[in-house]
Amino acid sequence: MKVSFPYMGTTVIYKKLLELLGHEVIEPPEPTQRTIDLGVKYSPEFACFPLKVVLGSYIEALEIGAETLVTSGGHGPCRAGFYGETHKKILENMGYDVDIIVFDGYKRDIMGTIKKVLRVKNGKPWRTVWKAIKTVYAMAKALDGIEKRIGQMRAYEIHRGDCTKAWQKIKKSFDDVKTIEDVERIEKESHILLDEIALRDVPDSDRLRIGIVGEIYVVMEQSINLRIEETLGSLGAEVERSQYISEWIDFNLKPGASAKEHELYILKKGEKYIQEIIGGHAKQTVGHIVDYAERGFDGVVHLMPFACLPELVSQSIIPTISKDYNIPVITLPIDEQTGAANVLTRLEAFMDLIRNNKKTKTA
Amino acid sequence: MKIGIPRALLYYYYYPLWKTFFETLGCEVIISGKTTIDLLDKGIKASVSDICVPIKILNGHVLELLESDVDYIFLPRMMSIRKGEFFCPKFMGLPDMVRHSLPGAKDKILFPNISSLSDDISDDKLYYDMGQRLGVTDKNIKESLKEGRKVWNEFRRFSKEDYTALEAMDYVLEGKLPEKQVEDINITIGLMGYVYDVYDDLVSMGIVDRLRKMGVKVITFEMMDEVMLDRELDSMKKRLFWTFSNKLLAAGYKFLKDESIDGIIHVTAFGCGPDSLIGKLMEIDSEKLGKPFMTIRVDEHTGENHLQTRIEAFVDMIYRKKSKYIKEA
Repeated sequence: MKVSFPYMGTTVIYKKLLELLGHEVIEPPEPTQRTIDLGVKYSPEFACFPLKVVLGSYIEALEIGAETLVTSGGHGPCRAGFYGETHKKILENMGYDVDIIVFDGYKRDIMGTIKKVLRVKNGKPWRTVWKAIKTVYAMAKALDGIEKRIGQMRAYEIHRGDCTKAWQKIKKSFDDVKTIEDVERIEKESHILLDEIALRDVPDSDRLRIGIVGEIYVVMEQSINLRIEETLGSLGAEVERSQYISEWIDFNLKPGASAKEHELYILKKGEKYIQEIIGGHAKQTVGHIVDYAERGFDGVVHLMPFACLPELVSQSIIPTISKDYNIPVITLPIDEQTGAANVLTRLEAFMDLIRNNKKTKTA
Repeated sequence: MKIGIPRALLYYYYYPLWKTFFETLGCEVIISGKTTIDLLDKGIKASVSDICVPIKILNGHVLELLESDVDYIFLPRMMSIRKGEFFCPKFMGLPDMVRHSLPGAKDKILFPNISSLSDDISDDKLYYDMGQRLGVTDKNIKESLKEGRKVWNEFRRFSKEDYTALEAMDYVLEGKLPEKQVEDINITIGLMGYVYDVYDDLVSMGIVDRLRKMGVKVITFEMMDEVMLDRELDSMKKRLFWTFSNKLLAAGYKFLKDESIDGIIHVTAFGCGPDSLIGKLMEIDSEKLGKPFMTIRVDEHTGENHLQTRIEAFVDMIYRKKSKYIKEA
C-alpha cells in the first residue's frame, strides 16, 4: 500500500509517522503553481483555497503512484471538516481509483475509527505504534522549537537566506530519525548549526515583533502564503505564528487537561469578542491578537483563505480589537488570484507604519 | 417596549414565531423595510468586502433599525437545530460580528443562544436569559412562546401545502389567502435555495413569481416534510454540518429521484461557503441521473435581464424535451 497525505507545513512529521509504521510513503511534492492550477481546475469554484491546494497536491501524489491517502476530518462547522468527502467524490469522478482514510472525531463513529486505526497500524505490534507516536511527537516539538527560533533570527541575519538554508538542511536531517534518541541528537546538532549563523546586533528597543494569525493552512503552509515568514523576516521583523503543529496535536489529540492549557488560555482571551467556538480558528485568531497585543508585539498579520467562513467573522471584528488594544493588524485574503507584488507592497507599507509607530512611541 | 427584527436571514423561516412571541409579551415589534438598493449599499459599506450578500443585507437591515427608535434588536445566535449539526459559522458568530462592527449596536442586541433538537426552537429555556434583560417573568416567556409555537406550526403546515414561505406568513399573520396560480401548469421545477435568498426580492429578483408566470410549478425545500427530507440523506456517509444546507441537499436529492420534477434550479449567493460544496455534489449527481440542473449565482451586481434570460432558456429547454418525449411515446 503506497500511502500519501495532504501537504501542510513541516511534512517530514507525517511522513515519519507513516514510515515508522512500515508503510511505503509517497511524499507529495511541495505545492507549486501547477498544484494550484490542478486544484483550481477540478474544485468547485467557490470552495475555499486550502481545499483546492490539497486537491491539487493529492492529484500530484496520485500521479507519482500513491494509492491511499490518509487525512484528518473534522466535526465542522467550517468546510474543512468536509474536505475528505468532497475530495473523494471529485477524485472518483475524475477516474482515480483511490482510497481516502479520513480520521474523524472518534465519537462520531467509534467502530469506523477503530477499523481505520487498524488499517494504518499496518499489523505492527502496539508497542511499535506507541514508540512511533512518541518519536514523531518529540520530533514535532523539536522542529517547532527550531522553527520558532528561526522566525526570530531571520530578521537579523547578515547574509540573506542563511536561516532558510539551514532550515531546509535541518528538515532533511530529521528525515533520518528512527528513534527518540535520534531526535534529541539531531535537535542538538540543529541548534549548533543555527548558533553558527552570523547575526547583526540589534538593541532590544529596536526589535520589531510581528504575530501571524489566521486559518491554519494558510498560516502554516509557506508555499501558498507567499513565504510570509521569510518576507517579514527580510523586512526586519521577528515572526511568531499562532499555529504550530505540536500545539495542534496538544489541543486536538493529546489526552489530559494540561496539554490543552495554552489553547484554552488563548480561547479565554477571545471570549470578549467571540463568545462561542464557531468553527475553524476564528476564536483563536481573535484570542491570539489580544495575546500578542498584551505581550507587546508591534503588529499582527491576519491570513485567511478567500471567503473563509469563520475568518470572515474574525475579520469583521478585528478593527474593534485593533482600536481597543492599539495594535495594527493587516488582513490578507489568499487565493489563486493573489499576486506576490501586491502582497509585498502592502507588507512593506505595513512595516513602515509599524516602524514609525515605534519611533514615535519611544521618542 | 419596541423590539426590532431585521427582515433578513431566518426572518423568512421564524418570523411568525418571533412576532407572536414578542407581541404576546406585550412588546411592539418593528420590522425593517423590504431590502432596497439603498439599504444594501449601506450594508455593503458596513461589512468586510468578501462576505456573502445575505450578511451584507442583514447589516443593512440592522443599521436601518438602529436609526429608528427601537429599544432592542432581536438577533439570536443560531447554533444548532439538530443533534450533531450546526449553522454556518457566520450565523454562529453573527451577534459578535454585529455587536463589534456596527456602531451603536453593542448594547442593543438581544441574542439568546438557540440550540435545540428540532426545527421547533420555542423551548422556553432558551429565552429565559433574554427575559431577564427585558424584565419579564419566566412564566410570561413560557406562555408567550406557547402562542408563538402555535402560529409557527400553523405556518409550517400551510407551507407544506405547496405555498411559499411568504404566502404562508401572510396567511397565518394576516389571514390573507394566497392567489391561485392562473397560468396552465406544464412543468414542475425544484428550486434549491435558502429562504433568505429565494424570498428576498432584491437577491432572487422574484424568481418564484417569474417561474410561475411561465407556467411552472415551483417546489422548494420548506414545502417538504422534514422527516422525509431527513431520511433522504441516510445514504450519505457523512452528512454536512449545516442543517439548512442538509435540507437543501436532501431536497436536491429528492428532486433528482422524483419523476414528477422536470428540472432543478439552484439559487445561491456569491461567496456562500456551504453552497460551494452542495453545488458540486449536485452537479456530479445530476449528470449521472440525467436531470437538468442549473445554478444561478447572485450578488449585489446581478442584472435582472440576465436572470430572466437564463430562466426562460432553462424552462424552454425542459418544455421542448418534454413535448418531444410525449410525441415519441
